[in-house]
Amino acid sequence: MISKIAARVPNGGLIAFFVVMTLFFCFFARNFATATNVENILVGYSFIAIVALGQMFPIMARGIDLSIGSILALAGMVVFDAILIFELPGWIAIILAIAAATLAGTLNGLFIVILSLQPFVATLATLAGYRGLVYAISGRQLYPELATTPLRDPSLAWFNEYYDVGAWFGLDAFITTPWIPASFLVLLVVMVFLYVLLAKTPYGTALKATGGNKEAARLAGLRVRMIEVSAYAMSGFLAGIAAVLLVARLTTSTEALGIGMELTAIAAAVIGGTRLLGGQGNVLGPVLGAFFLGVVLIGLTLMGISQFVQQMLTGAILLAAVGYDAIRRGAGQ
Amino acid sequence: MSGEILLETREVSKRFGNFVALKSASIAVTAGKVIGFVGSNGAGKSTLIKVITGAHAPSSGSVHVRGKEVHKADPALMRALGVACIYQHSSLVATLSVIENVFLGREMRGRLGLVSHKAQRVQLQEIMDDFGIHVDPDVLVSTLTPVKQKEVEILKALVANADVILMDEPTAWLSLSEVSNLHTTIRKLTAANKGVVYISHVLDEVFQICDDITILRDGTMAWTGPEADIDRPKLVNLMVGEALGEASRAAVTSERRPRGTGTVKLATDKLSKQGVFHDVTFEVNAGEILCFAGLIGSRRSEVVKCLFGDDKPTSGTIISKGGVKTFGSPAEAIANGICLVPEDRHTEGLCLSHTTFENTVIPSLVEVTNRGVLMRKDMDAMCTRQITSLNILPPDPAKVVGQMSGGNQQKVLLGKWIEKDPEVLILDEPTVGVDVGAKAEIYAIIRKLRDEGAAVIVVSSDLEEVMTIADRILVFSNGEITTEFDAGEVTNDLLIHAIGGGESA
Repeated sequence: MISKIAARVPNGGLIAFFVVMTLFFCFFARNFATATNVENILVGYSFIAIVALGQMFPIMARGIDLSIGSILALAGMVVFDAILIFELPGWIAIILAIAAATLAGTLNGLFIVILSLQPFVATLATLAGYRGLVYAISGRQLYPELATTPLRDPSLAWFNEYYDVGAWFGLDAFITTPWIPASFLVLLVVMVFLYVLLAKTPYGTALKATGGNKEAARLAGLRVRMIEVSAYAMSGFLAGIAAVLLVARLTTSTEALGIGMELTAIAAAVIGGTRLLGGQGNVLGPVLGAFFLGVVLIGLTLMGISQFVQQMLTGAILLAAVGYDAIRRGAGQ
Repeated sequence: MSGEILLETREVSKRFGNFVALKSASIAVTAGKVIGFVGSNGAGKSTLIKVITGAHAPSSGSVHVRGKEVHKADPALMRALGVACIYQHSSLVATLSVIENVFLGREMRGRLGLVSHKAQRVQLQEIMDDFGIHVDPDVLVSTLTPVKQKEVEILKALVANADVILMDEPTAWLSLSEVSNLHTTIRKLTAANKGVVYISHVLDEVFQICDDITILRDGTMAWTGPEADIDRPKLVNLMVGEALGEASRAAVTSERRPRGTGTVKLATDKLSKQGVFHDVTFEVNAGEILCFAGLIGSRRSEVVKCLFGDDKPTSGTIISKGGVKTFGSPAEAIANGICLVPEDRHTEGLCLSHTTFENTVIPSLVEVTNRGVLMRKDMDAMCTRQITSLNILPPDPAKVVGQMSGGNQQKVLLGKWIEKDPEVLILDEPTVGVDVGAKAEIYAIIRKLRDEGAAVIVVSSDLEEVMTIADRILVFSNGEITTEFDAGEVTNDLLIHAIGGGESA
């Protein structure tokens, strides 16, 4: 029975490894197994999980989106400008930011489809382009006096709330960490939405087919160009949501927001078992990948290991995940 | 020395777990002779090839090269001992030149360990002169015709000092005249005392070129002996069993129905694409199989691409459902009941890393969606229906199609279109690389669709195939229709003449 379930869960190996690492840190890292720390991991990595989920879409379509770090900064700056310069209500700022990010993602897709650019090249160009745009619209540059004003809008502040989930279900006595951050709840909503989209709608199958064999999908009557564009739009959309979470937590936005984020997101997606060859992917993978990175990095920090070593370890984990996948695939043939 | 046994397997068996893929196979490759391996997919041909090339270690039995037993299964060792294999799908690097490909991995070194292009050129020229094979060493492989690419692979084997050359489905993508060119080349190899193993589904070729034939069936050697000792019906029976052999012969003598029910389903008027094809005018009726015969390169695929909205004609019209139509995309053609099973199932037809289930439902996503949500039950039913009615093996919806045999891949491809219930079904080279048994099954499926009222267009370069299934035949040459036949009134020779005659015009 258990093995049957395990066979159905594509991320079995990762889950097992995840549990092992968590147990390891529980024993060896001080303060790891505390409610505060669990909350730290949930808060700190929920938005990364969302970006990684976004990254999964272009990868499933056999592409990649390198520009999400810049899109994240763009959406963050839109929130900053909308609230501090134009003094719009927070919820409008959030909608604008997510719309801007979705538009930026859509543009990526249009460049790729209309100009027949390699996704790598197109999004490398917009990685630079969107970052430049962030500086151009930066309220920090235009109104230097606003730079130190924190964003204190009630709609944004909501994302920093914690919910006593344990109490809702009357499980206070059993759950040691009853406080769930709102950002994690957002992640759960996103996961449910994406799960339905990928597993239960024709769009999900069409996206997988496009990534699996674009020519065959096109000849099967699928609108592959639309599907490709949508994958990048989705990547932008989710980067926009992640930006809102991040800006809410930082109570400000900077021009340098999200630099290097594309690497973390790709790493999380790949560690989560998303094949870079396209055509495959599931909602659990990137989320597990992101939190796995979170557990390892925070665990190591608590053990007093230096930042540099941590980066090297991130690289090693990525290699190990891809290598493990390749070996398993090889053995299957 | 002619007649010397170059390579031999003695009582070789291969088991995978409980499954016996090959049972005491004993074959001998003789210098100066061509031995043919025939058998359905799954009969053990691939396993035997893998044992010979060192990719698989036999579970029992032994492999001998020039009388000496080879104790280790190692592809590099077998290559060093002079066994080379030319696979169905090209193993050349398309972006390198001929000479770079030929010496890839065995570059000749000069001083300082640098590649000596001069020495390579001299050696290649010698070999080309010795064997009478001539290819320009400096052109890119991607610019060569398929038959020239096969010659490059042969040169590559010769440069590696191969004595035994295996050719797996060497003619799968070759036209008639190219096949005879290849056979000439093979004759040159045997004249130079090389041993050739020729593996093909095309029985005519096997009878033409092979000196000896080995028939494999269900992992055992059903028959082996000189080509002269066996005739075609006997060979087919030994290969696929009495029942299927009967079916395959029945397929040839089936009733012809030119112009079907007389209801035109799709027609064209002077359809042209500048520089590609011109003035293509025809109509296809419900309940008939219309074959587009011709040589490879006679632009039939280009015509059907226009019919399917995958390409745009420059002039002329397509008439479907009573009106003039221009299809801007395959999706529009599909909406008008026109489906195309493309020529290359690997690059255009299937998502190879996906399952039978996923491939089957892809064109029919709209049909299995209810209020925006996929109906898993309908999808399962759809997939099970095709697996059962087309006899797809293994009958497992979760099987990855890339791991299935060519015949079964082709059935999956057919199944996904049959689910669309097409009014006009266009099949481009439907049985390339498919074995005799599966071919008969595919022909039966095509006939059944015809009998149910579909208009079927089959593009085929395989004469046998055209003669087997056509109700009516259009012969293409250089992008024009040159002749039309009712299938009942045409003979093999007449058709060959029509196809060949067009070439010289």
